[in-house]
Amino acid sequence: MATTSSRAPAATLALHVEKHVHYITTLDTAKDTLSYHLSEHLRINGVYWGLTALHLLGHPEALPRDETISFVTSCLQPCGGFSSAPGHDAHLLSTVSAVQILATIDALDTIDTTLVAKWVAGLQQEDGVFAGDEWGETDTRFLYGALNCLSLLGKMELIDVEKAVEYVLRCWNTDGGFGMAPGAESHSGQIFTCVGALTIAGRLGEIDGEMLGDWLAERQLANGGLNGRPEKLEDVCYSWWVLSSLAMIGRLGWIDKEGLVGFILGCQDEKKGGISDRPNDEVDVFHTVFGLAGLSLLGYEGLQEVDPVYCMPRSVTKRVLGN
Amino acid sequence: MYQERPEWEDVIPLPQDDGALPLAQIAYTDEYAEAMSYLRALMAKDEHSERALEITEHIIEMNPAHYTVWLYRANIVFALGKDLRKEVEWLNEKALRHEKNYQIWHHRQLIIDKLDDSTGEADFIAKMFQKDAKNYHVWSYRQWLVKRFGLWEKGELEYVEYLLEQDVRNNSAWSHRFFLVCGNGQELTEEIVQRELGYVSDNIFLAPQNPSPWNYIRGILQRAKLPMSRIEKTCTYYAPLDNPEKIKSSHALDILAEIYSTIPEQKDLAIQSLDLLSSTYDPIRTNYWNYRKTQIQKAAA
Repeated sequence: MATTSSRAPAATLALHVEKHVHYITTLDTAKDTLSYHLSEHLRINGVYWGLTALHLLGHPEALPRDETISFVTSCLQPCGGFSSAPGHDAHLLSTVSAVQILATIDALDTIDTTLVAKWVAGLQQEDGVFAGDEWGETDTRFLYGALNCLSLLGKMELIDVEKAVEYVLRCWNTDGGFGMAPGAESHSGQIFTCVGALTIAGRLGEIDGEMLGDWLAERQLANGGLNGRPEKLEDVCYSWWVLSSLAMIGRLGWIDKEGLVGFILGCQDEKKGGISDRPNDEVDVFHTVFGLAGLSLLGYEGLQEVDPVYCMPRSVTKRVLGN
Repeated sequence: MYQERPEWEDVIPLPQDDGALPLAQIAYTDEYAEAMSYLRALMAKDEHSERALEITEHIIEMNPAHYTVWLYRANIVFALGKDLRKEVEWLNEKALRHEKNYQIWHHRQLIIDKLDDSTGEADFIAKMFQKDAKNYHVWSYRQWLVKRFGLWEKGELEYVEYLLEQDVRNNSAWSHRFFLVCGNGQELTEEIVQRELGYVSDNIFLAPQNPSPWNYIRGILQRAKLPMSRIEKTCTYYAPLDNPEKIKSSHALDILAEIYSTIPEQKDLAIQSLDLLSSTYDPIRTNYWNYRKTQIQKAAA
């Protein structure tokens, strides 16, 4: 049953920086398509993904700062939360993106950060987890999002961090991973949110990094790509969720770097730019940013350093968090 | 079009204001744009009415990922005292068509919680699993049902076994089994451990390289505070170190390395297992296997 590797050698592939910049800055030209208006609920997330990708590519100026601020502030609702686009309801995930965007372009002074932080803090539930909006759907994604944006705003004191940590630990499974709720199957995306939350809370010492690292390292397949759960297909976005988690627990070296770099580069659209989930699929901005962020964590030459906890340029989190 | 219908005459539609950033501008088809402008107008006055319900259905039909409209719909359904069974039926069709959608499942949870009755849910979930038996939203919802309605011993284990007969590599089903066996604070008696060891070894036999049953039994032994050596025989069967040509499972090698690393006089066997993993049976993780080797050497020094 010996395994053979069929991956393309990374050395023969290059990162198409200019093509990716062009792809991201011309995303709006596709706005008459059906898929574009159907992704309206992700609009502000899309701006965060595009902006972060441009910063990692070393082209922070490619998205006009004033227009970015004006769009983000037009999504601020009277309650203090941000919506995905003007005229929608506030949602935690949109609010996290808004704060990340403003932090990245050094424009947090354009909003009332106390109002925003209070709205986010108000979403914490009795058991420590966070809801996404007034509707009450709860998920470790929301818990991480809340800690992410409150730490960027410097307002962690508004929430019960201890209870949030307790909730995360209840989602910890015996295979070393985390699920979206206590007892739920381990999933790389949920692991990123739980490990990120523990890191922000300064409580990473509560978990067994050896066991978690074993589970995460097991996500790499013979073609170099990473999957999100056992017996599932590889996907570029897991290059981020798995790698960033390994980086946070200090075990990035357990991944075969050359194999993964080759897999991500092989998912580029060499003609129009952008990165897809796996080779020869349609590219999108979501997989583009997570592919680039993965390459950055792997130390790929020419990319800006990414912060594994926040998925933002490390230079930005250093400036905002002062560490 | 809403603007041509008399029952909408009193509503002044609120058009979308997209702001200036091109990357953020939203282009609509005319039908969607018109429906959204009427929805915004009704939401602005928080109207709970039949026509409001109708427009939520229209928009969900076009764009089921629009979370705001689901929230509004739930409020209307409860305010008007609508037949919740009918709402569930309507949802079934949506869920089957939009498998990756989160909102549908949260809405379902609100409705079923209010109904206070889970009759029919298992049948519907079975239909979802026919399409994708690893759907994370559906599994999360099923776990919520088990907790909310105390279904721990109401055929759940049998259902998991049925799914694993269909696909022994379904990690979600293995994870649900763990949730059922350990998630209710039950004591893991020797009888249960024996049952699980038997079930796992039958399933490993079908696919020795499937990681799920190996991870599963590791979790059970750990939870029961039993040593990993309880499965040593199974491991040596699938990974005979004295006959490496016959090795059929890298997971068996991995666990053997773990078992032997704790016994000083068997540490050479642990090293041999890890060498086989990095040279032949799982070379992509060479860095990790080497790390494990260094740990054993450090402990011995």
